[in-house]
Amino acid sequence: MPGNFHEVRDPIHVFVRLDTEERSVLDSAPFQRLRHIHQLALTYLVYPGATHKRFEHSLGVMELASRVFDVITHSESVTDRIRSLLEPLVSSAKLQYWRRVLRMAALCHDVGHLPFSHAAEKDLLPYGWDHEKLTRQIISSNAMKSIWNSITPPLRHVDIEKLAVGPKNATDLEFTDWETILAEIIVGDAFGVDRMDYLLRDSHHTGVAYGKFDHYRLIDTLRILPQSNESEGLQEPALGVDEGGIHSAEALMLARYFMYSQVYFHPVRRIYDIHLMDFLKEWLDESVFSTDLEGHLKMTDNEVSAALREAADAEDKPGHLHARRILGREHFKRLYEWNPDDVQINPESGKAVFRALSERYDKDQIRHDRYRQGSGAPDFPIKMRDGRIVSSLDISETLRTLPVVSVDRVFADRSIFDNAIKWVNENRDEIIAPEREEAGNG
Amino acid sequence: MDRLRKAALLTRLIEGLCSKGDWCGETHVQKTTFFVQELLGVPLGFQFILYKHGPFSFGLRDELTALRADGLLELEPRTYGAQLVPTKQCGYIQGLYPKTMAKYERSIGFVVENLGGKRVVELERLGTAFFVSNRLEEGKAVYIRANKVTELKPHIPTEKARDAVREVDRIVSAAIAEKQAAISAGEHGGVRIMRTEQRRQ
Repeated sequence: MPGNFHEVRDPIHVFVRLDTEERSVLDSAPFQRLRHIHQLALTYLVYPGATHKRFEHSLGVMELASRVFDVITHSESVTDRIRSLLEPLVSSAKLQYWRRVLRMAALCHDVGHLPFSHAAEKDLLPYGWDHEKLTRQIISSNAMKSIWNSITPPLRHVDIEKLAVGPKNATDLEFTDWETILAEIIVGDAFGVDRMDYLLRDSHHTGVAYGKFDHYRLIDTLRILPQSNESEGLQEPALGVDEGGIHSAEALMLARYFMYSQVYFHPVRRIYDIHLMDFLKEWLDESVFSTDLEGHLKMTDNEVSAALREAADAEDKPGHLHARRILGREHFKRLYEWNPDDVQINPESGKAVFRALSERYDKDQIRHDRYRQGSGAPDFPIKMRDGRIVSSLDISETLRTLPVVSVDRVFADRSIFDNAIKWVNENRDEIIAPEREEAGNG
Repeated sequence: MDRLRKAALLTRLIEGLCSKGDWCGETHVQKTTFFVQELLGVPLGFQFILYKHGPFSFGLRDELTALRADGLLELEPRTYGAQLVPTKQCGYIQGLYPKTMAKYERSIGFVVENLGGKRVVELERLGTAFFVSNRLEEGKAVYIRANKVTELKPHIPTEKARDAVREVDRIVSAAIAEKQAAISAGEHGGVRIMRTEQRRQ
């Protein structure tokens, strides 16, 4: 390879290549910290192979992002109509600039993650903060800005922020259609490479084969398309696929469904996440992680793991009980789970069971886990061989009927489990009945 | 507002849109909910940004997915895209909250009456025009707001943008009249409309 390029071996993409400026991001403290952040939190307690880190995932996202960029901006893939709507497509200098921004954004998209990734995020940051905000703070820090400014032409940090977190997490910024599409390449619901990489990588490391799909074919068929070909239809450009890519797109969505069902929402994995959060709340100063850059960079899974071990062994340490539940494998057991019959009576039946049990037993012995799948139905444009643009939901029954993953579970301490489950089963109808408003003038 | 009350109102809106037009997809729900919340002041708590086809709420999109998981909505195919169809179960959920339904029935009815039956491309223009008029260029002349619409959404022609801004002005005026009628009838007024009124004075 020429001196300006570097290669990293990767189990998913074989080689990830990066230039010297990208290498300086890789060598930076925020990025090196990702070597110590597990991609799947404590999932390795259930799937022992899941010990991979955000570091290699971020490299994979960068690799896939530029593959997608090269396919969708290739002159033969772009129609005149799309070119007229997305001005950077007609300037090779602009394309080069945005390709660089995209790769940097992909590289940095996870630098704000807290220890143990998502497991630790909820409720563990001061109000108004999330890992995306931390990511933006790092991208716009002086240390990172010196990298962006050393590049010719210099990269605007706000452009990198936009693509790294997307419109959903940068509501204070205005996105052009072009920026929206580029952000979709990284964090998009349908074809975001963040998801593509984590499905492939998590599948590989957990040994759960459901997460694999033909990403080569899928990426080759991605296109920027209008939502409709009717003159009165929606013309805003979006990421879609050529007709030949529909089956690989279906495979991606199925992979997502199965990985969520089998891995990400595995009940034992979820209760370990909850125990970890309980531990962190007791262990951390003021129950939250630092949002100060220096404090954030110092805190990794290593520090938390060491504290867990120490707390598990000493009754007087904060979080002792929760640490023991994790390290002693004394996690709570699943007592109640969402089911179609109960949902007919009360879509929030888990919450009702949790409330009832919390009144009957010590609150610390009961936990509620509610998670509903984000993102909508996989509706994206497809360019048919005859040139028509149709919706994915029109031609794919698989996508239309893909189940929605929903978790609504209640867990209980083993010491009360048998008694509690008996009580719930005997009083289920009364417990899950929803509250009703009395009729009257509002 | 808690989740089930919100579900009751959203499903009532979707029922109204389905009865008024020939179909109702997610874009219809996104744009009309924006009007229900921002113009009529129904406190649904969604955060809207300018995104796909105009005002868009990721929270609302997630909620629509959750309503499918709960069996309150179903996806059915149609000529382009899929339509959201309320299930029989919606009546049961709405029936749990008679006070909430009564409080906001008129606001939802207003939006259904004024926007139901419009095509998605019209709703995209109207939603964007209302977003611009309400948040970005409030109180500005029609041509300024129309230019902003076109600047934000280059695929919308200027003439169509101008028509959309004028139509939004008409809907806002009608909403103010509706609010006054509601107050006379002792019903809910709507915070946003009051703000709009104040700006105009």
